[in-house]
Amino acid sequence: IKETHNNHMNRDAQMKAILHQKLIETGERERLQERIRAKFLECGWKDQLQAHCRAVIQEKGVEQVNVDTLVAELTPKARALVPDSFKEELLQRVRTFLAQQVRP
Amino acid sequence: MLLSGGPRGRCTRWDPASSSSRCARGRESGGQELCCRLLCYEQSERLLQESLQMKMEEMSLSGLDNSKLEAIAHEIYTDLVEDACLGLCFEVHRAVKCGYFFLDDTDPDSMKDFEIVDQPGVDIFGQVYNQWKNKECVCPNCSRSIAASRFAPHLEKCLGMGRNSSRIANRRIASSNNMNKSESDQEDNDDINDNDWFYGSEKKAKKRKSDKNPNSPRRSKSLKHKNGELSSNSDPFKYSNSTGINYETLGPEELRTLLTTQCGVISEHTKKMCTRSLRCPQHTDEQRRTVRVYFLGPSAPLPEAEGSVENDSFDVAESQALMSRLQWDGSSDLSPSDSASSKTSTNNSESRKTKKKKPHLSLVGAAPGLSSNKKKKPKPPAPPTPSIYDDIN
Repeated sequence: IKETHNNHMNRDAQMKAILHQKLIETGERERLQERIRAKFLECGWKDQLQAHCRAVIQEKGVEQVNVDTLVAELTPKARALVPDSFKEELLQRVRTFLAQQVRP
Repeated sequence: MLLSGGPRGRCTRWDPASSSSRCARGRESGGQELCCRLLCYEQSERLLQESLQMKMEEMSLSGLDNSKLEAIAHEIYTDLVEDACLGLCFEVHRAVKCGYFFLDDTDPDSMKDFEIVDQPGVDIFGQVYNQWKNKECVCPNCSRSIAASRFAPHLEKCLGMGRNSSRIANRRIASSNNMNKSESDQEDNDDINDNDWFYGSEKKAKKRKSDKNPNSPRRSKSLKHKNGELSSNSDPFKYSNSTGINYETLGPEELRTLLTTQCGVISEHTKKMCTRSLRCPQHTDEQRRTVRVYFLGPSAPLPEAEGSVENDSFDVAESQALMSRLQWDGSSDLSPSDSASSKTSTNNSESRKTKKKKPHLSLVGAAPGLSSNKKKKPKPPAPPTPSIYDDIN
């Protein structure tokens, strides 16, 4: 009973881990990434982010550039720039996948 | 062992196979049965726990409510986007560090400067693309206007560089004159020449001429008319050499123009005038001057600068003497033995060319005068051979 209780404590984390594992094992994550890459290139997300990058780097100076600061600068912008329709599409695909995993 | 098969198929990654194989190993070692049992028990208990856990997970997976699934979906989505962003960051970082990130930066000004022009009649740079099509150039030599694309070939011909140059045209003119006039000249020259000596060459020349000009029946007819003793007409000056002009048949005006543009020295072997430039290295200025004095009279100016200076020193008597000598030259019968002997003379080759033509009959008195005159030249010529021969004779 005690063990089940302990399991219950990190049940969510385990679930998440299992689902992530599933996502990778089935290759669905790779497919999603491919789709994202193509879409981002197509809809100008990449160009916009690069322009932002350029501005950031010129502001900070080329010598101060490192990956961490770039990630910190770009991630919010990256999230904001995703088109809503595409975001909806992605989420729908993930949901479908999860549903398949939970109720095979 | 019952438990080892307990977890259903999808839980095989919890490694029931390895544990069961270990149990099997324990069973085989019969001597340590107790130990094996203990081990088996331990393992089976662990397996029980694991299977319980799996059951719980299954239960929880199936029992997930939609909100949690939604949260996981969002999390996965964020993960994916951040992945893409991270990839871009790596890309940009590498580009910056390698120095090619800003390469395609252009300012709007230059973008405007190098805009692609899309209008009819011009190319993408905004230039009229056939602007050189109808350009014409004026030839500096003949002052005709020639299409630009034909200008270089024209220059080559006009200025006399190639094989088909105006030099050959000049020669053709000269030879055509030769043909027209030779009819009348032939009779005069008939008795002059040594027939036997020139027989072969004349025959050859005639043959070549008739080959070249099949549409001049008059000439060939007249030659044929001479028939039996064709050799008797043989004129050494008519021998058409490709590098000379037969001066005998030229009119005075033609002679004048020819001598102002060409070397004109009469060759020893072919009896032709040299058609090279006024500064041709094969002949000396002295030779050229002699020829000009002979043809154009004593007042004829030499085109060379130094020649004009020296021209003043000629007096009339001297030129008269020269004239008489050269007239002898023109009508002399050069016997083979004579030319052979003069060829063996030890004169320097420059003066020999003209001097040789002077017959042994040339006036002895004129020669010293000429040579004394020539003393002014930096390079004094050797004394004329014929006079020496005369002295010896």
